[in-house]
Amino acid sequence: MADIEVIEDKAAPGGDGDAPMLELRNVTKMFGSVISLSDISTTVRAGQVTCVLGDNGAGKSTLIKILSGVHQPDDGELLIDGEPVHLGTPREALDAGIATVFQDLAMVPLMAIWRNFFLGSEPTKGWGPFRRFDAEKAKKISRAELADMGIDIRDLDQPVGTLSGGERQSVAIARAVHFGARLLILDEPTSALGVKQAGVVLKYIVQARDKGLGVIFITHNPHHAYPVGDRFLLLKRGKSLGDFAKSEITLAELTRLMAGGAELEQLAHELERDGDSTETGALGRELLEDTKTLG
Amino acid sequence: MIRRVPRTSLAAVFAAAILVSACSSANSVNVQHNKAGGGSGGYKYKIAVVTHGGAGDSFWSIVKAGALQGGKDMGDKVSYQSSGDPATQSQLIDAAINQKPDGLVVSMANPEAVKAAVKRAVAAGIPVITINAGEAESKSYGALSHIGSDEGVAGQAVGSELKKNGVKNVICVVQEAGNTALEQRCAGVKATLGGTVTNLQVDNNNLPGAQQIIQAKLQQDKSVDGVVTLGAQVASVAEKAIASANSSAKLATFDLNADVAKGVVDGKLLFAVDQQPYLQGYLGVVMLTQYKSNLNVLGGGQPVLTGPTLITKANAAAVLKLAAGGTR
Amino acid sequence: MTAATAQVDERLANIGVVRRLLVKPEFGALIGAVVVFVFFAFQSDVFRSLSGAANWLDVSSTIGIMAVPVAMLMIGGHFDLSAGVQIGTAGLATGIMTTYWGLNVYASLFMSLLLMLTIGFINGFLVTRTGLPSFIITLGMFLGLQGINLGVTKQVTNTVQVSNLDLVPGYHALDNVLGGTVSIGGTKLQIAILWWVLLTALGSWALLKTRFGNWIFATGGDPNASKNVGVPTNRTTISLFMLTSAAAWFVGNTQIVRFGTIQAQVGIGQELIFIVAAVIGGCLLTGGYGSAVGATVGALIFGMTQQGIVYAGWNSDWFKLFVGAMLLLAVLANQFVRRYAEQSRR
Repeated sequence: MADIEVIEDKAAPGGDGDAPMLELRNVTKMFGSVISLSDISTTVRAGQVTCVLGDNGAGKSTLIKILSGVHQPDDGELLIDGEPVHLGTPREALDAGIATVFQDLAMVPLMAIWRNFFLGSEPTKGWGPFRRFDAEKAKKISRAELADMGIDIRDLDQPVGTLSGGERQSVAIARAVHFGARLLILDEPTSALGVKQAGVVLKYIVQARDKGLGVIFITHNPHHAYPVGDRFLLLKRGKSLGDFAKSEITLAELTRLMAGGAELEQLAHELERDGDSTETGALGRELLEDTKTLG
Repeated sequence: MIRRVPRTSLAAVFAAAILVSACSSANSVNVQHNKAGGGSGGYKYKIAVVTHGGAGDSFWSIVKAGALQGGKDMGDKVSYQSSGDPATQSQLIDAAINQKPDGLVVSMANPEAVKAAVKRAVAAGIPVITINAGEAESKSYGALSHIGSDEGVAGQAVGSELKKNGVKNVICVVQEAGNTALEQRCAGVKATLGGTVTNLQVDNNNLPGAQQIIQAKLQQDKSVDGVVTLGAQVASVAEKAIASANSSAKLATFDLNADVAKGVVDGKLLFAVDQQPYLQGYLGVVMLTQYKSNLNVLGGGQPVLTGPTLITKANAAAVLKLAAGGTR
Repeated sequence: MTAATAQVDERLANIGVVRRLLVKPEFGALIGAVVVFVFFAFQSDVFRSLSGAANWLDVSSTIGIMAVPVAMLMIGGHFDLSAGVQIGTAGLATGIMTTYWGLNVYASLFMSLLLMLTIGFINGFLVTRTGLPSFIITLGMFLGLQGINLGVTKQVTNTVQVSNLDLVPGYHALDNVLGGTVSIGGTKLQIAILWWVLLTALGSWALLKTRFGNWIFATGGDPNASKNVGVPTNRTTISLFMLTSAAAWFVGNTQIVRFGTIQAQVGIGQELIFIVAAVIGGCLLTGGYGSAVGATVGALIFGMTQQGIVYAGWNSDWFKLFVGAMLLLAVLANQFVRRYAEQSRR
């Protein structure tokens, strides 16, 4: 497993053949005696989506925390635009253009949407002791940015906690996009959502990608990952199972790598059942055949 | 963080400069003048004092000062503990008994609650003297003697004195809810005043609030012409309340401190009734020392009375100096 | 899209204003204050007179000046149980430094301010560094200061109070600023009331109109999320504790200046009243929500209730029961109004 080569996809759209926007090289992280990540490598390019897949306990959250500056790797390095960097704090990561949308969304439920939108980066008016939080500007910009992503929120003063899960995700993504993020890291954005809501979020991911951002999409669901991903990194218990370009792997292979045989069959049946598009149904049948061959 | 250091050291230099230039004896109006002399007695007895006084109470602080000075003068080792909660006081007495003192001084605001502990001390052969409260039960618990002042008698003295001054409608300000000694004082006043006495609850730990409450009462009921407070600290705020309410009510108080003495000198208070708490502490220690060394007992079976003594304009000025030192 | 949005916005504007008002945390408290006032105004003509108002406003101001920073701290997610006893520490420090150590009274004020800010810093530092509940840390500080206040006072003065500040040079100017009165409509109002109003305005402005205020709400609402987006949560928390201590410095020194004397045990028990005022005013005990104006209204309700009971001539032995009952009613009323407003929003 450790012998898998990292292939740089020179022909990928948005890629310029030069250094990728973000690269992880042999990153390792330990907490005491527990090895959380071991020798992980992958890349993300502008206008592309790299999916990080793995079940619970695979090390996905540790990976995000390293990328967003909360933790630092014990071994290996991070490179941005080909230059090695050290992200010591969340602020440094933000300044480097890396915006992370955490699973808890880093939103304060009791606060209004426009306050949350600018949390930590509040626009100000005036100077010295009269320096104010420019509320009018904040409200105007948040409304505009949300509309730009196709989100229509009725009342910006609403506490964020009253929004639905999908709405909250979209606000978080719009916030990250607005603050000049070059790289968007989404931590399990679809995990707590229903099918339709998940679809909405995937749509926003595609929109962000089309704007020229790089996206790291973390999930444990290969069915969500495959349609939008350009690159796939698989994690299992802190180790890398492989770092593949889309052209190198199929959904079935992806799923097989992630799960064992029994789970595979269950997935196949699930696919067949909610196959409202012929493609999904075909996939399901294909998977079922694979299961039978694999035994 | 790095930016902060120069600012902090600037502030420190600034502060030091102010300090150096600002010291002046004109400011130190409270320099201590009670350099208590040490006595020459070398009795070396261990005396435990356990009272029911609250920690911040000016009255009990004077009792403690008296007890400690008694220890110095006799050459005894005096320990002082107190708790307003009877159960805790009982435990403190037991702890004292365990240390096998040569004598025990106890105040009994709630005699029933400390009865068992006191009897244990007596049974262990420790001579016990009661002070301040619990006069009625003192002998039956086995104490040698009681030093104090009868609250009811003191109350009656206040009532009579107020009557002499033409006061008819009094509010009696109770600063510790549920304190029986304080209730007895108000009852005493009522007995001899020959007019109306209404109790008014305030909180000893919130004196500004107490002032407002007294002021409100005076504003509301213009027929009140007398205010009696049951603690020296409350007397000072009552003084201000009367002034703020533009009331002509006369003020009298139980217990003494420097502000009260000053008030009597200035005529803001009619009089103060003092039970000489210093003596209660001092005599408790001295009498135990005399008993241990010479089997002397004072009182002839009767309580030794330390009050009520009246502080009026006649003697207030002299008392004021002593009160400022915490001994009156 | 734009036409539809404009329509929706208009619709929002009509319903919005009323709902928006009702949902504000201080509004329920305001209704409570009006009810309490009307109730006691009927019971006593002195209560509703100017001199009566001067009286209960005075009580409210001493609670209110502390309730505002305590509320801000609560919104930031923390409690300060040492807020009451710090009042004593501040006044005693100034008194001892001036009347026993001979320091100029203004220098003493400056030094005691430094002392209080240090205490506030220690509180905040311990809370942010250890991660222990602020309830526990400040409880320890409360007990410690209680002992220090009494022990040091006894050591230095041999009594349980520090007096005679009114005899030192420079006292009178100080008295005008902190302890004096202002004449309005023929009645004398304590100047502390004006300081209270000013502090409320400043506190409210800081909470609602500044970045720092946004950080306070965020740190209290979700400290983890805030840290992740770059909000300086530790700095915010420590600042809030220092602010509370600075307010305690103000109240403690107002007291010793106004009365010329201060007791060692002052302020003990008051810390809970500040918290109650903040909660009446709409602050959540769990943090992230509340209002400085609300806390001030809470202090007002407390002051009116306490004095109203005396003016109404109710039996003072039952005093605490009445206060407790009225406070519960005030909080319930506030909650009721807010729930109603929130339901109709959906």
